Amino acid sequence: MIRYKKDTDHIVTLTLDMSGRSINLINHEIAEAFIPVIEHLKREKSRGLLRGVIITSAKKSFLAGGELEYLYQAREPEEIFRFAEKLKGILRDLERPGIPVVAALNGAALGAGFELALACHYRIALSGPRAWLGFPEVQYGLIPGSGGIVRLMWLMGVEKAWPILSSGRRYTPQEALQAGLVDELADTQREMLDKARSWLLRNREGRRPWDRSGGAIPGGTAREHGVAAVIRQLATRLASRTHNNFPALQAILNILAEGSRVDFDTASRIESRYYTGLLCSQASKNMIKAFWFDYNFIKEGGNRPKGFGKFRPRRVGIIGAGRMGSGIALACLNHGLSVVLKDVSKPIADRGREYVRQRLEEWAAEGRKTETEREDMLNRIQTTESSRDFEECDLVIEAVFENRMVKQKVMREAEEFMDDYALFASNTVSIPITKLAEGSLRPENFVGLHFFPPAEEVPLVEIVRGARTSDETVARAFDFVRAIRKTPIVVKDDWGFFAARVQNTYILEGITMLQEGYPPALIENLGRQAGMPFGALALADSLGLNMVLRYENQAAEHYGAKYVQHPAVGVLKAMLEELQRPGQQKRAGFYDYEAGGASRLWPGLAEHFPVSVEDFDRQELENRFLFAQVLEAVWCMQEKVIHSVAAANLGSIHGWGFPAFKGGVIQFMHDFGPEAFIRQCKDYESKFGQRFRAPRILPGLLGLK
Amino acid sequence: MAEAYIFDAVRTPLGRGGSEGALYEVKPIGLLLAVLEAIPRRCAIGPGDVEDLIIGCNAPVDGQGHDIARAALLYAGWGGATAGVQINRYDASGLEAAILAAMKVRSGWAQLVLAGGMESMSRAPGGSDGGPLTYDPEVMARAGYMAPGVAADLLATLEGFGREALDQYACQSQQRASHARDSGYFSRSIIPIYDQNGLLILGEDEQLRPDTTPEGLAQLPPAYEALGRQGYEEIALQQFPVLERIHYRHTTGNSSNPADGAALVLVGSREKGEALGLKARARIRAAATLSCGMALIQTGAVPAARKALQLAGMQPEDIGLWECQEPFAAVALHFQRELAAAEGAFNVNGGAIALGHPVGASGAILLGALLDEMERRDVAAGMAAVGASGGMGAAMVIERI
Repeated sequence: MIRYKKDTDHIVTLTLDMSGRSINLINHEIAEAFIPVIEHLKREKSRGLLRGVIITSAKKSFLAGGELEYLYQAREPEEIFRFAEKLKGILRDLERPGIPVVAALNGAALGAGFELALACHYRIALSGPRAWLGFPEVQYGLIPGSGGIVRLMWLMGVEKAWPILSSGRRYTPQEALQAGLVDELADTQREMLDKARSWLLRNREGRRPWDRSGGAIPGGTAREHGVAAVIRQLATRLASRTHNNFPALQAILNILAEGSRVDFDTASRIESRYYTGLLCSQASKNMIKAFWFDYNFIKEGGNRPKGFGKFRPRRVGIIGAGRMGSGIALACLNHGLSVVLKDVSKPIADRGREYVRQRLEEWAAEGRKTETEREDMLNRIQTTESSRDFEECDLVIEAVFENRMVKQKVMREAEEFMDDYALFASNTVSIPITKLAEGSLRPENFVGLHFFPPAEEVPLVEIVRGARTSDETVARAFDFVRAIRKTPIVVKDDWGFFAARVQNTYILEGITMLQEGYPPALIENLGRQAGMPFGALALADSLGLNMVLRYENQAAEHYGAKYVQHPAVGVLKAMLEELQRPGQQKRAGFYDYEAGGASRLWPGLAEHFPVSVEDFDRQELENRFLFAQVLEAVWCMQEKVIHSVAAANLGSIHGWGFPAFKGGVIQFMHDFGPEAFIRQCKDYESKFGQRFRAPRILPGLLGLK
Repeated sequence: MAEAYIFDAVRTPLGRGGSEGALYEVKPIGLLLAVLEAIPRRCAIGPGDVEDLIIGCNAPVDGQGHDIARAALLYAGWGGATAGVQINRYDASGLEAAILAAMKVRSGWAQLVLAGGMESMSRAPGGSDGGPLTYDPEVMARAGYMAPGVAADLLATLEGFGREALDQYACQSQQRASHARDSGYFSRSIIPIYDQNGLLILGEDEQLRPDTTPEGLAQLPPAYEALGRQGYEEIALQQFPVLERIHYRHTTGNSSNPADGAALVLVGSREKGEALGLKARARIRAAATLSCGMALIQTGAVPAARKALQLAGMQPEDIGLWECQEPFAAVALHFQRELAAAEGAFNVNGGAIALGHPVGASGAILLGALLDEMERRDVAAGMAAVGASGGMGAAMVIERI
């Protein structure tokens, strides 16, 4: 578990090496193992037989965070609090004035793993591309609970600690050095240990700023006006951004504000109390479910056809240098792939490259990319007007105009030059892949890859399996999506696939409320306050009302005689036909669009859809928005459009921004309570119509009889 | 039950809040000292006659920290005779002090009390006392804390007060205040501030802008838009989701400015007044304090005024003169509309938009201004009403004897 080795300089190296695991992580086991080691170190020190300690790891990574399996199950506040305090006690023992300790970070140290590093007096990181450092806890609705927040605050001050803690960002060793998270870098394992040793020989005593008399938090505490004003501003921004739906972020800010006013150990205890509360919260359970269990299921190929070796794409061809094609290009470049970007002429293809260049400049300004990375990425994109340049590509993706003839034409041109083994993917949302494949030379190599705009940012990609798409092709498409670090979900070749179809129900519900006489601003505000990234009407405009109606028409076609017309259809037809307001593209939809990009709700709505509801039930309206999506997702599962709970949950969050704190469309029902959810559906069905009827598989899906 | 009477009311001139203000050089306790020392001079009473001094202060820290009332008494040499307490009901502090004094007198537990407020916003700017409601992120989130300027724009948006109406109100406040000053209406109660050598530092209100025009006001940019965009707008929409957006219409011109000043009101029982030979100028008929919630924080004067009227058994028509605190133009317009206060009887000598708003003192200044003007106009009954930060309000009905 912890290997102990002492050299002739009286320097002890502790090497973490948990048995039976490929990584080290923080759990009860390792905590127990540390206690006697620290006791022993203390004895050695008192006998003058210890100069210093190096902590490192025998695994590829240094130390991962807490054991999420344990954290997901933990429910007992007292036990959680006590364990948090116990871990803190161990780290505190390690750093208490006396024995100097160096963390030799030979690989990734995340979450609680990085908290151990922060409890050392000095940190040296081994440079490497996958040696991530930082605090990803907020992604799971959690916070560092082993003193990480308080130590970071003491090391760099409230203002600088906040973005590091609240973004969940992972840092490369180089970035970590710049941010002040580590003290030194090393290029080799040996150099790292030499540097650690030499630091120990130069520093006889380790003493943290908070253990020094007169030690102070850089920039001051929340007692001082400057810091107080910063905290106030952050609090306001947070409340407006999250609508109080992300308690973990709020807790971090609370701990910084309260913790800066008291001594280190008290602050540390305050941190444990917030940590305990969060770990018991449903929001964190939901997020651990989605971003750990569901994500791992997807990542480990839960829906990937089995038995095919890993596909490692290197060169990707993209047809169509518009926003979508350029976005896909950028996503590929960003993860080390080379891109051949083709359009009807080279100058038009160059516009795509220009888009990539501009976005990279923005990323550089945000600190997301360095100058060298930017140059390297731009060097990997080639623009062309000839399909001949696809010869070397492992995969070609078309992202041209949504027209079957055009798509088939560019496909045939490309296939002529492509390797027999290469994949061809179509990025379509409304043309059946099976139909498109009819024109293909190699339909078994043909697959749908549905990206979402902006493709460089949205993490979801739907893999659409046509009737003749081979299992191997699906597996390779899956591997490609993973190679660009996106979330692949495999969906059936059916109208709207999964994401667009489910998202459309949110839009339709909002439009229905308009028809019922609710004020349009209320519809938009409550949608966002329910946790959706955009109001339903704004989303309708951005997709185009034609598209919204088209999906619903496809549903009608699909269900035939069983179809019950959605109450939103009337409004859509009126907007499209009588009022000529088809959406954002024509600068006239539910909103008016000014030249500067600013938009305001169209005042004409008041005349055509007069407000008749004065009083409103906030909870009911927010529920309707979310229930509509949840039920559609269940229909998708029943109709085998999507094949796993994990894909539905993660697809909804990563695809169109279904509230992460609810854990996605299926987890939502567990959050709500399975029985209560079904009861509520019955109530809404009688009040609002058949669209709230629970699909047949629902009780089984929720583990009910 | 005993009745409470007002025998006198005084105030300092109001200095501009900030380091360019004339009273910036005067330490906060000096402002309170000036009005405190004026009372025996004007009323021929001694320190031993006054039992308590209640002082409202909004940022009781530093030079106005601790119990500033007690400190001022000791500083003035009244320490052996009179007790002192500092209170805080934000903007309504000065009026609240008078309400508490009246309560003491009406209960029979005190006979003569000095009440008022003070604020040196030059020395202790708003917020310098910290406080969880504005600085603790957890408390802010749970309380739905709203910045006052954004709340004022929210109010204007909800009530449909356009920029023009707000500017016009502000312009009128300036004209009325200048006219009142030039006509000497304020001089009766103003205690000039002198230095230790008897040299004058400030004799009149400093911030008035008699040359204000609607055209000039229209040029000013919105003052709270940046703050709203920082997040307060979205927080407001959580509470008022029927709104699409807030329209930013308040500027530095149609909002009140920070100021330095202090004010006192002498409150006592009929018997005590008679014994000391004091002339009762008004009777305190009723008073009330109420809350209005956080998002529209300055509208609390409305429910407080309604309750005070109800306690007094009066209708709005019975009020001959209204003084309503005007931190922002929309707040005064909203109050005027809600209480149906007649135009010619509402804030007739301007208000804080022209004079400035020394938060802790304003309520007492308002009460003194009401009393002076009721006498000048020979009006029987008047109302002083103040909305306070945090979503509260205080109101008092007084009538002349």
